Amino acid sequence: MNQFFLQQGRSGELQLFPHIVEFALKKNYSIQLNSLPPAATESIRIYCITEGKFEWAIQDRHFTLYPGDITMILPGQKFGGSRGFLDIGTLSWIHLQVEKFDPLSKTLLFGKWSSLSKTESFTIAKILMMDHAPFLLRLSEAENILLDIKHEILNQEIGYATRANHLIDELFILLTRQLTRQNNPGRDFPQTFMKLEQTLRKNLNHQWTVEEMAALVGLGTTAFNERVKKYTGFSPLNYLINIRISEAIKMLKRENCNVTEIALETGFYSSQHFSTTFKKLTGYTPSEFRKKNILND
Amino acid sequence: MECIITIELGTNAVRVFAFDLKSNIIGSMKGSYPTFHTEPDYSEQDPEQIFITMLYVLKNFLTEKIHSKKYKVRSICFSASMHSVLAIDKKGVPLGNAITWADNRGKKEAQELKKHPLGKILYTATGTPIHPMSPLVRIAWIKDHDAQKFKASDKFVAIKTYIIQQLTGEYVLDYSLASATGLMNIHNLKWENDALYFAGITAGRLPDLVPVFYSAGKLRKEYQTSLGLSASTKIITGSSDGCLATLGAGVWGKGKAVITIEDSGAVRVAGKQVLQDEKQRFFNYLLTEKFYVSGGPTNNGGIIFDWFTKQFGDFKNRFDIEFCMEDLIHEASKIHAGSDGLLFLPYLLGERAPIWNANARGVYFGVNIKHERSHFIRATIEGILYEIYSIGKTLQEHRTINSLSINGSFASIPFCSQMIADIFNKPVNLRKNSDSIGLGAFLLCATDMGIYKTLEEAAQTVTLPDSYKPQKADHEMYMKYFPVFEKLSTKLSDEFGEIAGLQK
Repeated sequence: MNQFFLQQGRSGELQLFPHIVEFALKKNYSIQLNSLPPAATESIRIYCITEGKFEWAIQDRHFTLYPGDITMILPGQKFGGSRGFLDIGTLSWIHLQVEKFDPLSKTLLFGKWSSLSKTESFTIAKILMMDHAPFLLRLSEAENILLDIKHEILNQEIGYATRANHLIDELFILLTRQLTRQNNPGRDFPQTFMKLEQTLRKNLNHQWTVEEMAALVGLGTTAFNERVKKYTGFSPLNYLINIRISEAIKMLKRENCNVTEIALETGFYSSQHFSTTFKKLTGYTPSEFRKKNILND
Repeated sequence: MECIITIELGTNAVRVFAFDLKSNIIGSMKGSYPTFHTEPDYSEQDPEQIFITMLYVLKNFLTEKIHSKKYKVRSICFSASMHSVLAIDKKGVPLGNAITWADNRGKKEAQELKKHPLGKILYTATGTPIHPMSPLVRIAWIKDHDAQKFKASDKFVAIKTYIIQQLTGEYVLDYSLASATGLMNIHNLKWENDALYFAGITAGRLPDLVPVFYSAGKLRKEYQTSLGLSASTKIITGSSDGCLATLGAGVWGKGKAVITIEDSGAVRVAGKQVLQDEKQRFFNYLLTEKFYVSGGPTNNGGIIFDWFTKQFGDFKNRFDIEFCMEDLIHEASKIHAGSDGLLFLPYLLGERAPIWNANARGVYFGVNIKHERSHFIRATIEGILYEIYSIGKTLQEHRTINSLSINGSFASIPFCSQMIADIFNKPVNLRKNSDSIGLGAFLLCATDMGIYKTLEEAAQTVTLPDSYKPQKADHEMYMKYFPVFEKLSTKLSDEFGEIAGLQK
């Protein structure tokens, strides 16, 4: 394993990869004061430990990293050595520039280089940004992926640009999967479902797909469908309609906004879609329902 | 062909059953709704989501299993979890979520009332133990801690009242569910003045009291249309889950008791007399005007074995707890009765009957170097069932019990059913694949229709074979350990208080 250091603007190898800001493997033999002061940047930074023990402060929280550990620092998060320097050992890292990052709306767009679909990157972003807290993962595959990326970029064989970008996607996919597994040991479905429910409620106007919901609890769609059906009696999408109509009812009874606003707020495609679904279930159109509840006065 | 539909508004889900007039199940369907814990002691549910879930399940069920097979629905009967409280404003709009039976926000108020002489007067009059679960305590809590909501609320109703009102327009509460509010006098069937005074309300702020057979007006036209039901479908108020599970298990009168163990559990007997207990350990709820269901509840039922499985089970697939539990039970079955001297007190959630100690906690006792993982599994199950036995034993100070009916997901696990028979040393019967609450609601409707002359006659039609017979040797072994269990449960009272204090 040889050391390397590639930097955007300086290293010609990165010409086809404008999104890679920095990519390196370093064997650090000595401590140099102030070699890693805490700082925030605009890129996503992923670090992977091969040898040694690293004392780091991420968002002012102290972490100790050992070989096999990986951490990801989001844009705007503060990261540095706990004592301001890089500890002795071997590590690799990649810094990536993303197209859009908004911690408030939890949006993260990787950019054109990524082949992740819109839904996939939405879900990955949701999971990576779920608790805002920095995290540490045990993920030994990460080191090999980084080495493969290096191999592609330096050897420049046919298709290397595509392959390297695919590998970066893969890294994000594995990180996300590992994060859901690590956050949720997969023992308590009721509790996990409750958390998912809260996320759905907070983002009721998002057009949720089953794939997205399944990913949030770390299951494949088939297993997820079965679990939800068994636990709630409904398919995931029908359960979601339940929440949507229940929330809509509360708004119809309490708030002055118009029916279209309520429809969109609660995640229906249109006021028409809302009215049809609502009437099918309750026998009332939303306006009739509202009138009835005001007339009860 | 005609059928009867029962709707059970349970703790986590609504369950709909259909029966033909000969008590055969035509089909069933369920839909769950969430419980919100916004603060540590809080436990709330959204009344609108419960209503919509009920409507959704009912509609799908009718379409798939009833209309398609040309059944005509004669009546719909409700059952519900006890103790829920929902504040509604003048227009009938809910003021926030409903508070469920598991909510403990009123624990301080309950403790104070229990020490006060009024506590005993209210317990004797209303049949409901003084406990934070009681709507009496909750309404008083809202009065003292949420003055704004208290002022804005026109009525305090049960979730079932709200659901029936949405369907028919009437605010009613049956004597049965009302007898679990701590606000109704179970002897004269009126709202109890002392209780109203304590809660700070007048009877006008509570629903109208009606018999369990009461038919609550017609289904609103819109729901007739959306559900495909006729105006002649009778909506019957029904009773509570606990009382109907007792009826559905055929427990009526002497010699019988019913054990229900789901997440939580209860041991119940039924009769024409109130069960007077000096130590206020039992509830006395009404099934009908002249008939009482008495017994004791436990917090620590199947939920404790769930906890054990989640912590120590071997999960082969993500979230596959069922498989994991089967594995554990298989392991437990290889250990002798008594777990070779390993005892477990299951009070992880504090305990109600018979010790009524909210500070009680779990204990593994008597661990020695030879105990293995499988001993812990078996001891955990034995501990949950010793607790059930301790309720049953106390009940036997007042009533004779010759046989047991059991229901509920945990009690119906064959390994547990056999263990209940062995610990109690009594024959145990259960109906396979059946829901006693639904059957109880059916029997109520069928009696209303004149199929049975009385509920007593209806209850007698429930005959269950003795499915599990007690094994003498195991019983004797359990009875060597049970006294230690019983002594520890009260002996550790001070230490429970200390550790609970430290855990806060």
